[in-house]
Amino acid sequence: MEILKQFGIDPILLAAQVVNFLILLFILKKLLYKPLLGVLETRKNKIEESLKNAEEIEKRLNETGEREQEAILKSAKEGEKIIKEAGDSAAQIIEEAKKKYKDIVTRAAEDAKKLNEAEKVKLQQEIKDSVADFVVLALERITGKVLTQSQKKEILAKNINNYK
Amino acid sequence: MEEAIVLKPEVLGYFKSLPITNTLLVSWIVMVILIIIAFLAGRKAKLVPSGLQNLFELILDFGYTTVLDLAGSKKAKVFFPIVMTFFLYILFSNLLGLFPGFATITYHKEPLFRSMNSDLNMTLALALTSAVLTHGFAIYYLGIVDYLKKWFTLNPIFLFVGLLELVGEVTKVVSLSFRLFGNIFAGEVVLATVSRIFAFIVPLPFYFLEIIVGFVQAAVFMMLTLVFMVLLSEKHAAEH
Repeated sequence: MEILKQFGIDPILLAAQVVNFLILLFILKKLLYKPLLGVLETRKNKIEESLKNAEEIEKRLNETGEREQEAILKSAKEGEKIIKEAGDSAAQIIEEAKKKYKDIVTRAAEDAKKLNEAEKVKLQQEIKDSVADFVVLALERITGKVLTQSQKKEILAKNINNYK
Repeated sequence: MEEAIVLKPEVLGYFKSLPITNTLLVSWIVMVILIIIAFLAGRKAKLVPSGLQNLFELILDFGYTTVLDLAGSKKAKVFFPIVMTFFLYILFSNLLGLFPGFATITYHKEPLFRSMNSDLNMTLALALTSAVLTHGFAIYYLGIVDYLKKWFTLNPIFLFVGLLELVGEVTKVVSLSFRLFGNIFAGEVVLATVSRIFAFIVPLPFYFLEIIVGFVQAAVFMMLTLVFMVLLSEKHAAEH
């Protein structure tokens, strides 16, 4: 094989290079490929996991938002209801108060009327009495006699009837 | 310095019966550099990468995805380290061969350093390793019977085709080794010639070209090895 000689092919050199390659393969596998590919794999897994987590978090966030919205709507409705009820009862209370107020006023007016009446009667009585006394006294003076009880009464009755 | 185009690597000395050629010396230097870098990059592999780890994660991730796409997840774990080592080894030696001092520093009137892949010994050794591993995986994944059926069948036409493919397997080794060798060796010659015309600035575009060639050749070697491995370790379709 003249051509191989020209290129300087030497089986020992070939073997040396093969050995070189195998050594390099072994060492690089141990030092470079294994750790770096391991790290790449771990990172890939981690990123996948994180993405999944993020998705779940977003889902949960959405759910929470919906629930929140629902709760807000519900409470708004409830608030409206409460306000309406309050308005109703307030109107009722006002109505009742008005009624009571009317009652009180009428009763007070009646009381006042009654009181007036009583006062009037009393006054009349007093006037009657004092008029009677006055008439008796005047008669005594005029007639110069003391009237008996029966006479007094008779005269009084007459006068008072007139007076009335 | 006589500038004859020498295909053979220069022998610097002998270690017992092992001739220490300048290319072998460079291959050791490349190995040491790669091992140091690998140690630094993978020493404290962290989940949040930084510096060298970042760079190598980029390279490895790209390589691993490529292997994964072609070979599937089961075989990718086996093929990837081999294919990636081919890539890194060839890439680093090609780039290192462009450094100053190569072919200019001499030792006993011979250049001390010479780009590793400008020696057919080195590229042929890599190609042979690639071929042996490829066929080894084929036997491992198919079983010896299915593997032999790839080449030898009772049908005379397919027997002929099988024999042709067997020749093709030899050609693969030759093409892998000579492609790499030819590209890098030619690059060396071009750089030497241009530098002799005018040593400043003029060689720069060629250096730039050689950087690209160095990368491309490494990638080509890696991809071809990967494709051969995948193709051979797949079951032969029963009907052609």
